[in-house]
Amino acid sequence: MLRTQEYVLNFGPQHPSTHGVFQILLTLDGERIVKAEPICGYLHRGIEKLAEARTYTQVIPYTDRMDYLAAMLQNVGYVQAVEKLMGIEVPERAEYLRVISGELSRLTSHVLATGVYALDVGGFTGFLLCFREREKMMDLLEELTGSRMTLSYARIGGVADDVTEGWLDKLNKLMDEMPGYIEEYNGLITGNEIFQARTKFVGQLTPETCINYSLSGPVLRASGVNYDLRKAMPYGIYDRFDFEVPLGTNGDCFDRFYCRVLEMEQSVRIIKQAIEQIKEVDGPVMAKVPKVLKPPKGEVYHEIESSKGIIGYYIVSDGTNKPYRLHVRRPSFINLGYLDEMLRGYLIADVVAILGSIDIVLGEVDC
Amino acid sequence: MFGKGLVKGLQITWKEFWAPKLTVQYPEKQHTVPERFHGKFVLDVDKCIACGLCANACPNRVISLNKQKVGKKQYLTDYQMNIQYCLFCGLCVESCNKDALHFTKDFNMNQYFYKNIPLVLVRREAPAEPLEEPAMGGEDQPKPKLKPQAPKEEKVAKPAAPAAESEAAAGKEGQ
Ligand code: SF4
Ligand code: SF4
Repeated sequence: MLRTQEYVLNFGPQHPSTHGVFQILLTLDGERIVKAEPICGYLHRGIEKLAEARTYTQVIPYTDRMDYLAAMLQNVGYVQAVEKLMGIEVPERAEYLRVISGELSRLTSHVLATGVYALDVGGFTGFLLCFREREKMMDLLEELTGSRMTLSYARIGGVADDVTEGWLDKLNKLMDEMPGYIEEYNGLITGNEIFQARTKFVGQLTPETCINYSLSGPVLRASGVNYDLRKAMPYGIYDRFDFEVPLGTNGDCFDRFYCRVLEMEQSVRIIKQAIEQIKEVDGPVMAKVPKVLKPPKGEVYHEIESSKGIIGYYIVSDGTNKPYRLHVRRPSFINLGYLDEMLRGYLIADVVAILGSIDIVLGEVDC
Repeated sequence: MFGKGLVKGLQITWKEFWAPKLTVQYPEKQHTVPERFHGKFVLDVDKCIACGLCANACPNRVISLNKQKVGKKQYLTDYQMNIQYCLFCGLCVESCNKDALHFTKDFNMNQYFYKNIPLVLVRREAPAEPLEEPAMGGEDQPKPKLKPQAPKEEKVAKPAAPAAESEAAAGKEGQ
């Protein structure tokens, strides 16, 4: 008897469109996906375990290595958790610098996500244009922190250093130009009919599924769920800024992509307001904290809105200078949880479009 | 109309085609590196008091230093960074009270051979006699501290080893 047979295709771990080392075992019926089994762990470094042998300050550089595309947000999440545990008051200027560098990190991450998504579905020019701006932002971050990606800029009780002379003006200038650049991305990528045909109504997620699977970030908001921690539970000084939370309607790949583009505009808005407000705030960028940090016994959970979603840090302290246990809720990892069902029924060519639209970073998935 | 977006995209590409180049031909031309750049390390040997704060601040145990007691002071004999494990986080530079350790703008630390990777910032023999001690001796004459000069040298040699060991032990704690 003649009959068709399902077969298994290895997607990754050495595939450029997996954005790192990530493997999906695709069971195919012809070109349709019957089952997708994500296999992660190729980049696992055991950061949570490493943290147990490091002092509280020494953990900061490791948090960079999770979502290295928006390192400042990872830093801030961790230091705010420790500050919550110890009850440290952060100087206002440091709070502003955290917001500015954090939003700049979010911009670099979203610009990269936008560009790489264009590349994933076959548009090389859009990718290059996005990298042009990312380069400018990274130059600014480099000038501020000394590193381009792994910033390690936040410290428990503040930030490492104040801004250099004229840095804020340079940033302001770039932020003035940014809407024009975003316009270019829209013209080149968003408005492109081929791009839209590849992404619209592909990989749709309903709001209920998103909530049930605890998805967060642009993936959640693209389905129309208005939940951004910066608005819902303002941490730091986010309640002082006027910005909107962009939402999608269809919850498809296009909405997830476009949500990020719209979020870039909001980040630009926040940075511009922060630049205005920081001019009136003078003072130290570091609170007076003891050299050896020994938080009281207890545990703390703190979460912030990272570029990929909600990143949460859970720290258990046993009263010594090292965390007893650190656990990180990594948005990329959790957003991947629904991948199998999302891919079922689509064609092989859509795998890259759907995976790219979740915007994972493997450093964070594997931790 | 279908194709409008494509035309608009092509217009942007066309405009970008005539825009000035942003890339540089790397080895010949280089971008400027900012002041705070985290590059190769330098150690100001005269300022360093061999306190070991930097080694303790390092998350990845990159720095190892050895010291010997010469006279009253600690004399830094060996300061080595296993730069292949460095995260370039800057915690060591920050922890130094004496402002002895610095980043430079040099980012090219490539080596052909593995054994050349560690960055040896100081490697020297400890002087047998305390160097600046006689000059200071002139100031505080009454103190008879410098009296047993000769036996001191023996002492110097012996405590040096335990000192190194305790250094290593302190390091192990961090692992
Ligand atoms: S902290 Fe400074 S003074 Fe102390 S050993 Fe390190 S470089 Fe030398
Ligand atoms: S930069 Fe960080 S990892 Fe490198 S030696 Fe200094 S403290 Fe250690």
